[in-house]
Amino acid sequence: MAFAFEFFLRRLSQGVVIVVLVAFVIFTLLRVVPGDPIRIILGPMTPASVLEETARALGLRDPILVQFGRFMGEVATGDLGRSFIRGLQGGSAGGSQDVAGYSPESRASVAGLIATALPYSLQLAGLGVAFALLVAFPIGIAAGLRAGRWPDRLGLYASSFFVSLPNIWVAVVLIFLLSAKAGLLPAIGYQGFAYTIIPAMVLAIELSPVMIRAISVAVAANLGEAYYDAGIVRGLSRRTMVARHVLRNAAVPLLNLFGAQMIGMLLGGLFVVEYIFSYPGIGMLTISAVFQRDFPVIQAVAILASGVLVAINMLVDFASTMIDRRLKF
Amino acid sequence: MTSTRRTFLVGAAAAGAGSLLVGPGRFGRALAQEAGTLAFAAAGTVTSSWDPSSHTVAPQITAEGFVFSHLTKCPMTPENPAEVLPDLALEWKLIDPHTLEYKLRQGVKFHDGKDFKAEDVKATYEYASQPSRPASAWYPGQVEVEIVDDYTVRLRTEKFGYPALNFWYLSSFLPVLSAADVANPDLLKQRPNGTGAFRYEETRGDQIIFKAYDHYHDGRPKIDTVVWNYVPDANTRVLGLLNGQYHLAERLEPEQYASLKAEAAITTNRGLSSENKYLHFRCNKPPFDDVRVRMAAVHAIDRDQVLAIVGEAGQASNCHLSPVKFGYTDVPNYPKYDPEACQRLLAEAGFPGGQGLPELEYITSVGFYPKTREYGELVTALLQEQGFPVKLTTLEPAAWEERLYRRADGQGPGHIVDVGWITGSPEPDLVLRPNYHSKYALINGIADPEIDAALDKERNAASTEERLKVLQEEALPLLAAKVPSISLFSSVFLRAMSKRLEGVYFYPNGPIDLSKATLG
Repeated sequence: MAFAFEFFLRRLSQGVVIVVLVAFVIFTLLRVVPGDPIRIILGPMTPASVLEETARALGLRDPILVQFGRFMGEVATGDLGRSFIRGLQGGSAGGSQDVAGYSPESRASVAGLIATALPYSLQLAGLGVAFALLVAFPIGIAAGLRAGRWPDRLGLYASSFFVSLPNIWVAVVLIFLLSAKAGLLPAIGYQGFAYTIIPAMVLAIELSPVMIRAISVAVAANLGEAYYDAGIVRGLSRRTMVARHVLRNAAVPLLNLFGAQMIGMLLGGLFVVEYIFSYPGIGMLTISAVFQRDFPVIQAVAILASGVLVAINMLVDFASTMIDRRLKF
Repeated sequence: MTSTRRTFLVGAAAAGAGSLLVGPGRFGRALAQEAGTLAFAAAGTVTSSWDPSSHTVAPQITAEGFVFSHLTKCPMTPENPAEVLPDLALEWKLIDPHTLEYKLRQGVKFHDGKDFKAEDVKATYEYASQPSRPASAWYPGQVEVEIVDDYTVRLRTEKFGYPALNFWYLSSFLPVLSAADVANPDLLKQRPNGTGAFRYEETRGDQIIFKAYDHYHDGRPKIDTVVWNYVPDANTRVLGLLNGQYHLAERLEPEQYASLKAEAAITTNRGLSSENKYLHFRCNKPPFDDVRVRMAAVHAIDRDQVLAIVGEAGQASNCHLSPVKFGYTDVPNYPKYDPEACQRLLAEAGFPGGQGLPELEYITSVGFYPKTREYGELVTALLQEQGFPVKLTTLEPAAWEERLYRRADGQGPGHIVDVGWITGSPEPDLVLRPNYHSKYALINGIADPEIDAALDKERNAASTEERLKVLQEEALPLLAAKVPSISLFSSVFLRAMSKRLEGVYFYPNGPIDLSKATLG
């Protein structure tokens, strides 16, 4: 228990620093790239004086550090702010607005927008990872068990093939073949679980190469360890050694891979895939927010993403340490 | 702590499986929409206010087209751009230069059940034309509306110093609101309430649902429901059309349009729009404050080559107005590609062969208008060929829009800016005054007394015939001679729809008339 307490205390304090740094970088970058959100909030026909007045009232003309301090203060109280662009019903919107009638309260809360979109993204990510595991486990384990032989080469070719397919292209081809031509599955938007299947396939194709290589390398490495030969010499069957020892010991690098690489890839993949499929998750919300210069949404998603990455890495490290106490944290 | 690898893996698997259960969906839903439901894949969406006077956003004007009616309708065909048809008004006439009378249709009800009467026209026109309203730039100025009786109104403009004729075409553009809503601005923002063929039902995220209005004055539409889906990616709109999820997709790229032509189940639609694509010169700073340099640049641009790149999405026109606008003409002195004239003018302006010109920035967007990057590179190369030291800056739409208009100090970034200008009425002043009158000159900053005088003269003309003459013989040739901007071509909107969808009318500024459409 003391171990767990010390572990989480240290890692949480490190994690908070990372999240604040990421938030600051995103916050600063958004304010130095071209594109003033006030022109999108109030519209191109709005007189320049009104633009400036409203921008000042919203705090958009304060020094960046002041804006950031105010923002983090609100985040600390659990308030992620309100969208610059989207109305209370959550519909994406842009362009001219009624200056006299504009008030931040007439816009959707960012936390609400994220809460609405997140379950869709979790569903898509979960199914994508499940599909990727379904593909990667058999190929990766077979490749690891028969290193240098044809299953190994199959694993190499399969992962090389998948990794060289751009997800945008895969998405368009799969929609065209499975939905437009064969009529097997719906693809655009979301009206039910079936709408998640083709996007999840695209995610799986993106994720599986890394998984295949990691599984095959980890399994092959464990087969070369002394404990494997010792087990065989002591009369355990190869099947037992693989099922009970090799796969378990191979789990540690796989868990680390999941924390370090897969979550990042998954988040990046979700942004592209959701946009192409008009899938109403976090990725679509974020891409729209970037196009519309909806700063509060972009900032909140960046904080959420870095928080998730930190948390997953922390949990993975904790799990790895629990599995193998020789590991340091 | 007694966790084991097994319990950890079991827990992780359970969490993963649990995430699959999120959402209301179930496997195996049919791809096709419910019978009588039209799914429209829209390239844009609406603002957070449903008040039509609160914005100048083209997609919202399209959405309003389902819900609201106008006093008149203008089909805006190239054959007869000045045609005006009845809608909520059955007759109209000019009583005197400052009074325009409308006789209104009787028996019309708003979607909330209120009877349509003269009071609604008065409330709408007097509210929307107030200078403080964001969309007031569309209107020539304030207007007073006299209620003669419940079904007769008179628009009066004398007090505000411009002819009532200016509303002749604008009455087909201004959505008629309920007087009760105008009196309650919060309600006006929350939901649209018109007398049109479809009533607003609800907004679900990026979807807007419209239902057929049973008491529509021209008969209940055959289509029961219109679902507006905001689909920003053009490829996704096309794929959704191909797999049957959408029945109608707008703003297609020329290549997509060409490939959809070969699809048996798809009908394509190509319609000349009320939009021209312009290159504006920043006329209030060097070197484009000199008309000779502007004209030299225009002579360096081969618009035929530009059109070859734009393909199906453009149509040649030699005028600062679209061919569906009142006043359009093939302007005789419209500048043409002429490298010799370009060199002569550069030399006269003191920049022989372009020597001495500062570095020039040409700002364009990518992702909204078709082929802007491609023809931007061509125009840059053509200008460089004649000695203009031009650098092309390509920005995504939000960043481009931020740089488009002049700022508080009157200056705008860069030297040349690419933009389209689309308006929903044949009224030419919706293009000319915001862009070329020194009072506005929103982008180019031109301040030329001769242009101002010509624009005021056409606006103040006492009859449509006189106005047409002033436009075609004075104002438009003057713009061609002074070139504060050059119109490269007129935009053509490319759409595609299911073969099952028939009887649709597309207005040149975007709105879609589905009141007589059927979905077989």
